[in-house]
Amino acid sequence: MATYFEIELDKLKSVIQKIGVLAEIQVGEAIKAVLSEPISEGKEVKKNEHKIDKLDIKIDEICQSIFALQQPVASDLRFIMSAMQISNEMERIGDLSMSIIKKTKSIKDKHDLITTFSIADVARQVELIMTKTNECFLTRDENTIGEIFVMNKSIKNKCDDAIHAIINEMKVNSKVVVSGTNLVMVLKHLERISEHSTNIAEYVYFMINAKIIKHEKFEDLNTEN
Amino acid sequence: MKDIKIHVNDLSLYYGEKKALKEISMQIPANKVTALIGPSGCGKSTFLRCINRMNDLIPSVRITGEMLVEGIDIYDKNVDVVNIRKKIGMVFQKSNPFPKSIYENIAYGPKINGLKDKTQLDEIVEVSLRQAAIWDEVKDRLGDSALGLSGGQQQRLCIARTLAVSPDIILMDEPASALDPISTSKIEELVHQLKEQYTIIIVTHNMQQAARTSDHTAFFYMGELIEMGKTNTIFTKPLQKQTEDYITGRFG
Repeated sequence: MATYFEIELDKLKSVIQKIGVLAEIQVGEAIKAVLSEPISEGKEVKKNEHKIDKLDIKIDEICQSIFALQQPVASDLRFIMSAMQISNEMERIGDLSMSIIKKTKSIKDKHDLITTFSIADVARQVELIMTKTNECFLTRDENTIGEIFVMNKSIKNKCDDAIHAIINEMKVNSKVVVSGTNLVMVLKHLERISEHSTNIAEYVYFMINAKIIKHEKFEDLNTEN
Repeated sequence: MKDIKIHVNDLSLYYGEKKALKEISMQIPANKVTALIGPSGCGKSTFLRCINRMNDLIPSVRITGEMLVEGIDIYDKNVDVVNIRKKIGMVFQKSNPFPKSIYENIAYGPKINGLKDKTQLDEIVEVSLRQAAIWDEVKDRLGDSALGLSGGQQQRLCIARTLAVSPDIILMDEPASALDPISTSKIEELVHQLKEQYTIIIVTHNMQQAARTSDHTAFFYMGELIEMGKTNTIFTKPLQKQTEDYITGRFG
């Protein structure tokens, strides 16, 4: 029979899964917006954002109560520490998705720009990294964590290249300055989502291995082991 | 090694036929607090009592292996057990002051050791009570019976009584388990202060107490030492699954 403490931990795990699914939906909507696909009504997106905020607070409350009443140690302690951080990252991912949806509305000739600067590819990768992030929390699979690190690097490079190309275009064509600026911001947001996903993967790594790998390169970790 | 106070090599203890401690080997560092944890009957208190030969008092007990305190095997035939116990003091779960005055409780040990000088005895009483963080509470009533003190005060008095004979090592067997949270925190604070001068080994069922007070933790299970390491490591990243299961409450 599960103890009261184990029931609390399961509850926490399920709330994190919920916030993860919602964040993934929001990222999906943001990517659709970037790729000019029809997105859910604004109402739905806002409702999800509201739900994410509420879950974020709920996770803090559950963690606070576990810390105060159960004095967790070892793997339990790492799980609860990670839960608080993961919730925070998910909430940021939700916010960034909302910002992307808003920004894309003010980009003129979006379809052409997206094609010109190969943004569809990076957008799809961001969608995928988010899926992988939720997957790695559930499965605690280290290979998936590795994949997330590699994808994040690739997303960052592609965003840098696209931003560089957009700036060069803006230098010679003043008509694209407004849209180009908005697109740069969208790319920066996509890059941030990828970063937050990677942070979550780092917390999952900490949960599994009791090693804090923030600010470290994944390649270095592999050579260390 | 200089900073290791006690070397335990392959120590086994039998109660008649029953093997209660199984080939324990560990090193207990000097001037640190080492906590012994584990479920009831795991052998931690039995092990603690081996360190000052308290198990000698049980007729059916047989011990093999070595218990080297500062390089000397305390189970050697030539070793005087009284000297060992002078050097290795012990505080028990239930405070056990003598039915005498507060002053006499502390002066008792030094007097038995032959000290008669009143000034020196006064000094030892004051220093010991100060070290045990109880001086301010009892300085004006040293002639009163020790039995009139509260449970927490009695326990600190017993610690002071232990300190009065200048031991090197202090063994504590669940020293705060019968105390309220305020007295408990006073005892824990005291343990922190005392480790500068003494090597302390503490048995506790309270996992958080082990985490708060000790530098090293040893986990015992069914007479075996499962794991010993820095307390910070044991409570964040234990190496053995059994340790993890025990400290996270998933045992059995």
